[in-house]
Amino acid sequence: MLRETRMSDHKRLYIIPVFLALVLMIIGFSPVFASAETDAHLAIVVAQNKVGDCYQAALAAENSGANISSLLNTLNEAGMLLSKANLAYNAGDFSSAYNLASQSQEELNGFVAGANVLKDDAAQARYLSFMLNVVGSIGGTAIVIVGGLVLWILLNRRYEKNGSGAK
Amino acid sequence: MNLREYRVFFLIVTAVLALLAASPALSRLLILPQTDFFTEFWMLGPNHKAEEYPFNISRNHNYSVFLGIGNHLGYCGYYFIEVKFRNQTQPAANSFNRTPSSLPSLFNITAFVANDEVWELPLTFSFDYARNETLQQVKLRSIILNDVSWDMKNYTITKNSQNNDFLGNLFFELWFNNQTTGVSQYHERFVNLWLNLTG
Repeated sequence: MLRETRMSDHKRLYIIPVFLALVLMIIGFSPVFASAETDAHLAIVVAQNKVGDCYQAALAAENSGANISSLLNTLNEAGMLLSKANLAYNAGDFSSAYNLASQSQEELNGFVAGANVLKDDAAQARYLSFMLNVVGSIGGTAIVIVGGLVLWILLNRRYEKNGSGAK
Repeated sequence: MNLREYRVFFLIVTAVLALLAASPALSRLLILPQTDFFTEFWMLGPNHKAEEYPFNISRNHNYSVFLGIGNHLGYCGYYFIEVKFRNQTQPAANSFNRTPSSLPSLFNITAFVANDEVWELPLTFSFDYARNETLQQVKLRSIILNDVSWDMKNYTITKNSQNNDFLGNLFFELWFNNQTTGVSQYHERFVNLWLNLTG
């Protein structure tokens, strides 16, 4: 009887530290996991927003008449990385998700500035094209019409002079 | 010579020259506005033709198709292709009601396509699965699509009693980011492949 009591005391002595160690481990590690998940989630949200902003910049450049195929290649690369980041996140691989989302963000570094340069260049080219094709063309038409009229009047005068001289 | 006889000729020559001079400006003004705004979405077989689509597939063997988008929305399109897989009992996308499948997406492919441009993606996929002849079912393990792998352990395909095959449906739904609302919405288009998972 006494031996049994001693055994159970002995067990208790082991159980308490093991239990405490387990609790400490859970308390200690859970923020690490939670932090990895939060970091990955945050990186994905930032990458998503960046892709959205870059899309808007590409759209503005396209509206100005710029050739945006190179911009779209970059956007497609970043979009694919973001898709893979989401997949890794859903699979619980937060480290890969974070890395892929960060790569997606890096892919888009300088994108908006590049899109704005294309947009400005396209706006300038559009202005020049407008001046040449529309203003130049309307001016040319006016010159042809007025020139034709002046030529007709001059020819008429000359014809009348020659006609009256003949009389 | 009476100059007045040449009046009509002179007018015609002047008018032709004026039209020629005005043509660059007219070409900009006389353009019919685009009235149909739509997107083409297609899948082609391995030879880049609408034929020889994979049907009878073997375990861990690679098969290829091509997915394509033609953008005629009038602006650069922001598309998502949701990759989904289902057996014969699970809900499909509906062509009549124009609704997507309620199944969760396995993977999203993002595609940005300029206006009046075409985007194409070669897809290579393989399935890993185990056939259980006594239970007459196929248990999926994973799908690999363009080097991206998904765990498919919860997917089971039972034998189709009519044709004695194990049919799975790999389908791709087209979604897009609506520029006016800023919300992503189903674009009422999908393409799909019926696959018989052989032994």
